[in-house]
Amino acid sequence: MQAAPSFTAVAARQQLQRSDPNQTQKVVWTSDVRQYVQRAFEDGNAIPGIDMTAMQEKLRAVITQATESGQLESINWATYPLPQEIIKTQRDQAVLYGTRSAVFANISAPSPDPSSQLSARKRKNYDMDATEAEDRATTPPWKKKQQNKSKKQIKKEERAEALRMNELSVNTDMLEKRRQRFGIVSPEPYPVLSPRDATPEPSLGPLVGTRQTLEKNYFRLTAPPAVDTVRPLPVLERALTHVLAKWENERNYHYACDQLKSMRQDLTVQHIKNEHTVKVYEAHARIALEKKDLGEYNQCQTQLRALYKSGLSGNVEEFTAYRILYIIYTCNRTDMNNMLADLTSTDKRLPGVQHALQVRSALASGNYHKFFKLCVDPPFISGHLLDLIIERERIAATAAICRAYKPDVSVRFLASELAFDGSDEDDSDDPDVGPRQCVGFLCDHGAESFIERKDDDVRFSTGKSLNLFEGLKKTAFGRVDIKGQI
Amino acid sequence: MAAQETMWHDFIDAHKVADGYLLATIITPDPPASDPARLYNFQRWTNPYSVQTDLRYKLQYNPEMRLDKKEASTWLEIFSDYYKFVGVLLAAEEANNVGKAKEADWNAVYEGWKDVVSALHRGYSSGTLEAWTIPCLYVAGKYLRIFAIKADESTATQRDSGLVFGGIQEEDALVTVGQNDKLEDAARQINRIFALCLNDRSPLEESRKWALYSTANLLFKTYFRLNSINLCKTVLRSLKAGAADMPPLSAFPRAHQVTFKYYSGVVAFLDEDYATAEQFLESAYAMCLRSAAVNVRLILTYLIPTKMLTSHRLPTQALLKQSPQLERLFTPICFAIRSTDLQAFDQAMEAGEDEFVKRRIYLTLERGRDVILRNLFRRVFIAGGFEPAKEGEAGSQVVRRTRVPVKEFAAALMISGAGVGDGEGGVDGDEVECLVANSIYKNFMKGYIARERGIVVLSKGGAFPGTGV
Repeated sequence: MQAAPSFTAVAARQQLQRSDPNQTQKVVWTSDVRQYVQRAFEDGNAIPGIDMTAMQEKLRAVITQATESGQLESINWATYPLPQEIIKTQRDQAVLYGTRSAVFANISAPSPDPSSQLSARKRKNYDMDATEAEDRATTPPWKKKQQNKSKKQIKKEERAEALRMNELSVNTDMLEKRRQRFGIVSPEPYPVLSPRDATPEPSLGPLVGTRQTLEKNYFRLTAPPAVDTVRPLPVLERALTHVLAKWENERNYHYACDQLKSMRQDLTVQHIKNEHTVKVYEAHARIALEKKDLGEYNQCQTQLRALYKSGLSGNVEEFTAYRILYIIYTCNRTDMNNMLADLTSTDKRLPGVQHALQVRSALASGNYHKFFKLCVDPPFISGHLLDLIIERERIAATAAICRAYKPDVSVRFLASELAFDGSDEDDSDDPDVGPRQCVGFLCDHGAESFIERKDDDVRFSTGKSLNLFEGLKKTAFGRVDIKGQI
Repeated sequence: MAAQETMWHDFIDAHKVADGYLLATIITPDPPASDPARLYNFQRWTNPYSVQTDLRYKLQYNPEMRLDKKEASTWLEIFSDYYKFVGVLLAAEEANNVGKAKEADWNAVYEGWKDVVSALHRGYSSGTLEAWTIPCLYVAGKYLRIFAIKADESTATQRDSGLVFGGIQEEDALVTVGQNDKLEDAARQINRIFALCLNDRSPLEESRKWALYSTANLLFKTYFRLNSINLCKTVLRSLKAGAADMPPLSAFPRAHQVTFKYYSGVVAFLDEDYATAEQFLESAYAMCLRSAAVNVRLILTYLIPTKMLTSHRLPTQALLKQSPQLERLFTPICFAIRSTDLQAFDQAMEAGEDEFVKRRIYLTLERGRDVILRNLFRRVFIAGGFEPAKEGEAGSQVVRRTRVPVKEFAAALMISGAGVGDGEGGVDGDEVECLVANSIYKNFMKGYIARERGIVVLSKGGAFPGTGV
């Protein structure tokens, strides 16, 4: 039944075998690399507690790895952390996360430093205890006691769990064995490791990525990312221009959203918080608004708020206005109160913010006339948010009109009150476009039988429609469900 | 030695007569007024090396102390944690007193107190501590909250001065580091106490359920400070669900009742359930001791806007005079409403905005505008006088003029500063109609608009419900 085990052994060795370091020695070091080495040996950069030999070993490992992975040119050696700094970070992390993860927070796997021996031993252990390890993976111990744990604890443990899972996935020969048991024989044991199978990288602290491609699909991280899958800041800056240009041309939201999400992820894992971060989030927020993807928009908005608060400059006026309108749309009184508490008097003087606040106060007092007037020519792209609000407010206003006017009103009047002005149609010069749209609106909501022609005017029977629109209003203002909203 | 004997005397006395409040004064971080040096004396009474032995002599081998073995060992645990805590607390207070407030380690104080609370919690959950001792739980929760706030404040000042860095970076690097770490933790601990009391199955006379409302109040207080008011509803729900097996609210100490009603009222208020809010707040107001000026003021802060909305009633001058804060807060608004001055109302709302928003009453007060509009339209109606008596019907009742031209309402709105201008010196008639329509829609006014004729036809009987017209 079982496939020949000899296969697996071969596959596994392939993983562990690295190209002979001697081959790569012929590389001519650039001046950047040489300066980097020089800096590593400078007395001023020495960190007490880390001796020279450990530093030298790490230095060799760093350069060997860079050479092997072909990143010697791409790494910015001027800002790359010195070997002693890397050791220090690892030690700090070891303190924070326990010694176990310290083993895996090791930048250079095949270096002769003691930790790699340790990790090799660990792997062997897992070979032998494979079943036990599998058991552990299916019923994680934290699951049993989860209910009395705080969110933080759970998060922490999830992180530890992710690390554990990563250990398991390192064990590729086990996977290969499994694959063969099911008759799937890969023609070639893949020489290039996929990011998740790669030797565990650090990434618990800020890392600097090395990936150079502009585009990258979003993939939700379940383990610390590898350095070569993350794009550094200069690449991300070019990527944003590239993606935005493509969005302008192709208008493919799925593509744009995916790309922007991966950019956000790269920024996050590298702990980059600067003006560019603001730009990415603003761009994504705008595109999400345009496509009425409020779940995604809300994520960006939350982050933007934190970014602005941390003192970064951006389009504060524009996004404060959106936030007010967004809260109006979600009908969340608590949020609105917090929002008002957040606004400074300088904020309130900005025209865009003022517009949003006027919208708020018009709606709060039920002044639909003023509200629809404010919807004409809104600042920035608030129109997209207003569109969502307008839908609902038209129903509410119709309900009020139904109760207050008797016995009927002219559709022409209703159209002008509800801001059906034909502006989103081509023949907006035709004075009848608005009323036609208004009739369409009434019919959409099942009020066609209450429209009648009298003399040479089209009238809408208010008294008879009251119950209908009261009901519609209740549903419209019921819970606003937004994906991703808590 | 002798100086700290009063503490043990109190402990023995409390056990003799089962006086929970007296017992609670022994483990409180605030020494009783009769024995201000108690904490110092307790600290000097023993030292970390012999604290266990000394306590054992006091609690287990003391002929005066009639504790059974389990009880004695529970108190032994509590007091040894308490001993450690007192050490940390005194160090922090001392640092504060000699002007080195920055060196006071309130985080350690909080953790120390948390250990005492955990020891207490164990005592209750194992069934060793009896229900009469629950005032100890009041003290436990109360100081958890106080020390947590102090700890968070000191962390914040240290963070500002660069002494402490934010915690470990989470996956989402942009989330600001929690500024209320300890208070959030305190909320969890208090919630544990709450569950401890809620799940007690012993008969009511000796149930920990008697600590429920007091603990719930603490939770409310904490959640309000954490700005997570939604969590209060969870507490209210579990109280409601367990109500059948609980003593009625009226059987609890008055202090617990008033606070509970106040918070229930405010939660309903924020939920726009004004009828429920009015009920709770009125009852809290009626029961609250008049000498507790701050509490009265807090209740009125929400009761006044509630009344304004439910029954359109404004507070009297005399009521507002009780507290300068209330007077400052509400007088301009009330004045504007009384004089139906929309412009003054807008100004008052703008001037008080920060304070109103802080107290979370802005969005409710804003609706006072509707009342002004109602009053304004009512004045127009009254100024219109009566219909000329019809011939042949002499002697019958006089009828007010019920057909009021929209133009008259427009003029009134312009005078009051409603901002219904069309921007070119004229009046925006459609907006005037919109305001009238809203008044009708919200039942402030009975009647209808006949647009083509440019008039509002008001009801003959009670055009303005509840105002006698």
